[in-house]
Amino acid sequence: MYGGGNVFESMKATALADEDPIKLAEFEARIDRGEKIEPKDWMPQLYRKQLIRMIEQHAHSEIIGALPEGTWITRAPGFKRKMALMAKVQDEVGHGQLLYSAAETLGKSREQMLDDLVSGKSKYSNIFNYPAFTWADSCFISWLVDAGAIVNQVANSKGSYGPYCRALERICAEEAFHLKYGHHCVIHLATGTKIQQEMMQEAVTRWWPPMMHFFGPSDKISVHSEILMKWKVKMASNDECRQQFLDMYVPKIWELGLKLPDDSLRKNTETGQWEFTEPDWEEFKRVINGDGPCNEERLAVRRIAEERGRWVRKALLAPDAKYVAPLA
Amino acid sequence: MSLKSLDPRVGRLHISEQEDNDKTQKGALDQFETYEAFVQVKEGKSLDHVGSVHAPNEEMAFLFAKEQYTRRGMYCNTLCIVKTENIMMSEFSDNKISVYDSVTVNPTGIITEEFEIFHMFKRGKHHRFIGTVNALNFEDAMANSKVFYPSEKPVYNVWVVNAKHMLTSDDDDRDIWDTLKEKQYREAIDYKGQDIIKAYKEKIAPD
Repeated sequence: MYGGGNVFESMKATALADEDPIKLAEFEARIDRGEKIEPKDWMPQLYRKQLIRMIEQHAHSEIIGALPEGTWITRAPGFKRKMALMAKVQDEVGHGQLLYSAAETLGKSREQMLDDLVSGKSKYSNIFNYPAFTWADSCFISWLVDAGAIVNQVANSKGSYGPYCRALERICAEEAFHLKYGHHCVIHLATGTKIQQEMMQEAVTRWWPPMMHFFGPSDKISVHSEILMKWKVKMASNDECRQQFLDMYVPKIWELGLKLPDDSLRKNTETGQWEFTEPDWEEFKRVINGDGPCNEERLAVRRIAEERGRWVRKALLAPDAKYVAPLA
Repeated sequence: MSLKSLDPRVGRLHISEQEDNDKTQKGALDQFETYEAFVQVKEGKSLDHVGSVHAPNEEMAFLFAKEQYTRRGMYCNTLCIVKTENIMMSEFSDNKISVYDSVTVNPTGIITEEFEIFHMFKRGKHHRFIGTVNALNFEDAMANSKVFYPSEKPVYNVWVVNAKHMLTSDDDDRDIWDTLKEKQYREAIDYKGQDIIKAYKEKIAPD
């Protein structure tokens, strides 16, 4: 699961001037023909850098996203919910593996990516810096955070980089279960007893602001983002993804009698666009920069897993093994 | 002081806030070498590349690939593992040009080993198992493959693997996938909520 609001590197004015113009033209022609780029193809440095950053952030989001939901496996109501949530969390970690491999084909090792996650150098989806207080929070994540992620991932799966597309195709197929499972959990609470309804409503109220942050702030149309769109790295603007999410899911939330904590939220029937109160973007920045309720815990858990699992990796390490990046 | 968390499992870890951060730098190969995995879902279907895994040896790679690539769905017939470094990859072509166009057919005629051939028919799609050729070496295997497996569709990339480097699941062990059908809770189809929503709407509708 992953949202928009990618932190792209700023582009130097000379970034493209240094590239071989003939190779660049061939590269762009290939993308224009609708052909995918494969790992051994020539590609501009900027393309490689932005893709590594994007796929790496996506991979980190999968394994960090498993933490707030994983919290609830042992306390999920009933055996069936426990089995399903465990399967979902296993899927998310599996998605992380697929994505790390895709990023590795671009030349950054998995070790380096995990180091950069733990040191705070690379980011993950901001929404996972918020805690899951109750079972209903876990249900909200399973349904709606995954729904948001699917909007984003379906868009990205039409991008230009072969290994990322292949990973996303597999991920999107598996996410179908998450979405239906999450919806089922929310339906159950929202149509249940008064206490269950209240618990679900509180979770919705709590998670709506980070959900609105999820797709990132309105993107300014810059030369930079135009190039990323042309190269099919960035497939849809943050606003387009947010609008699509609102369009698909607000009616489904409302039909369950749940209220969203934004009185201005409505679909403008003339423009076809959803209108809403801008969420607090200062808070978004603050949390992304480390000052959220769970940033410290998320990274501490990752760091401990790395440190305390080291002896296992060491015991299994073959001294004459040599590293080869995944092929595809 | 140890970290406070809502998660009882995190609480039990007793993570010190001052835990030494320097130790987390990973050495080269801390996450092991890579293997490519291939899956045939059902008898008669093609054997396709599905992705890679990191593992310390072939047996572990097989186990990881089984979890990573065959835990979902109803069936799996065959799973193969090859160490990435044992795959010879051809050049890539594009724009309806087959990579075989630049392969000279000049077979040595010397047959020493078996090689497995995989084709990529579309950029962005997985490699697919095509068949086996007898040959002297990788280049010879490419040349033989061009003759034995002519393709109407352009082939954009070829992988050649010495057959001795493929670890393939044993037919007798197929029952490791028998339980897939019991895990319906992993499938979207197991979650039907429309009836509950309908009943709820009828209940709250004003008479």
